[in-house]
Amino acid sequence: MEKLEITATMKGPVIIGGGYMTLDAILGAILFDQLGSPEEAHDAIPIERQAGLFKASAAMLEPTSNQNVAFVANLRAAHSLNPDLLKKNKAGGVHAKVGLTRRRSFGAVLNNYTSFDVPEITWYAKGDGGAISDLLSDLTFIGKRRGSGFGEVKSWSVEPGSLDGVVGHFGEPLRPVPEQMFDGDQSSLKVDAAWRPPYWHPENRAICFAPDLVR
Amino acid sequence: MNTFQFFNENFGCFLVKQTNVPHMDASEALSKNHPLQKGGQNRIVSGWAIIRPTGAVMQQKLAVDGITYDDRNRYEAFGDELANWDGSPRIFLEFDKKPIPIANVFMTVDLRSVRICSPKGTATFDYTRALDQTSHPFHKSIERVKKKHAA
Repeated sequence: MEKLEITATMKGPVIIGGGYMTLDAILGAILFDQLGSPEEAHDAIPIERQAGLFKASAAMLEPTSNQNVAFVANLRAAHSLNPDLLKKNKAGGVHAKVGLTRRRSFGAVLNNYTSFDVPEITWYAKGDGGAISDLLSDLTFIGKRRGSGFGEVKSWSVEPGSLDGVVGHFGEPLRPVPEQMFDGDQSSLKVDAAWRPPYWHPENRAICFAPDLVR
Repeated sequence: MNTFQFFNENFGCFLVKQTNVPHMDASEALSKNHPLQKGGQNRIVSGWAIIRPTGAVMQQKLAVDGITYDDRNRYEAFGDELANWDGSPRIFLEFDKKPIPIANVFMTVDLRSVRICSPKGTATFDYTRALDQTSHPFHKSIERVKKKHAA
C-alpha cells in the first residue's frame, strides 16, 4: 500500500449533492456494479483501512463558479407503478388510487442541486495504485445527475502522493473521521457524518472531525 | 455516540418502545401517533424540539412524561439554545405535516456547522459567522428575532 494522489480532470460541471464523495465510496460503487454484493464490494476496495475507516480522502475541489440547477421528476403512476408493490389497507386495496388524473400523491417532484465548475478534483489515499487505476480507468462520470450529463471526467491520473487520505499537512481532517480515531488538529470542524460505507446507512453515522463541505 | 442512540436516549424513549435498532425506533417516534394533552392522538405535526444530553424540550404539547414543553417560537428557542450552547450535542427538529425522515436527522456538535432538521431537508449554517447576503435564511431569522427582543 502506498500514499497516492488521484486526480480527475473534468470535462464539465459536477454535482456533489451535499456529501463528501470519498474515494472509497466511488471505488465501492464501481465494485458493487461488478460484484453485486455490498459486503463483497467493500471488502474488495483496494485501500488500506483501520478499524473500518478507509484511508481515502473526501473529494477536494476548488470551484471557479457554481449554479443552481433544478430537475422536475414526473412519476407516470399509471404504468410505472405495480399495485402489488404498494402497501395495502385492511380491505386488501391500496391506500391511494393512482391514475393519470389523480396526481395528488404522485405528481411532479422538483429536485434542486448546486453544480460546480471545477477543472479537476483531487483525492488522497493509501492503497494499491495499480488496482485503483484499473478500477477508475473506465469511469467516465462521477457525482449526481450523471445521466443528465453532469460530472463527466476527461481523464484520471494516479500518482504517488504525500498524504494518507485521513489527515492533511496542517493536521486537518481530509475525510469524516470519528472523534476518538482522529489524531490531527482537535480544533477542526466537528459534524455528525457517516464515516464508513455504506455512507447512506444511519448506523454508520457518528460525531466526526470532517472537512467543510463545498456548498 | 450514534445519532439515533442519542435521539432515543433523550427523546425517542419517551415516545415509543425501544428495540435494538435505534434508527428504526427514531423513525417510529417521528411518524407514529402520540397522545396529546388536549385529547386524542396525532403525529407531531407542528412546532419544534431540541434534544439535549439531559433530555428534550418541545413546543407541541403531548401527553407524554419525561419531555419539557415550551411555548417559544422556533427562532427564539433555537437562538437561545445556540447563544447559551455548552458544547454538548444537540438535535434541532422543525416539525411539519410530513414526518421528518431519519436521513434528515443530524446532531449539531459545532457552532460552525449548525443543522436544523425538517421534513424538507437539513439547513446547515455557521452560527459563528457574521450575517451577510449569503447567510442562510434560518440564521437570518434567528438574528432578526434576537434583535427584535433586544430592542
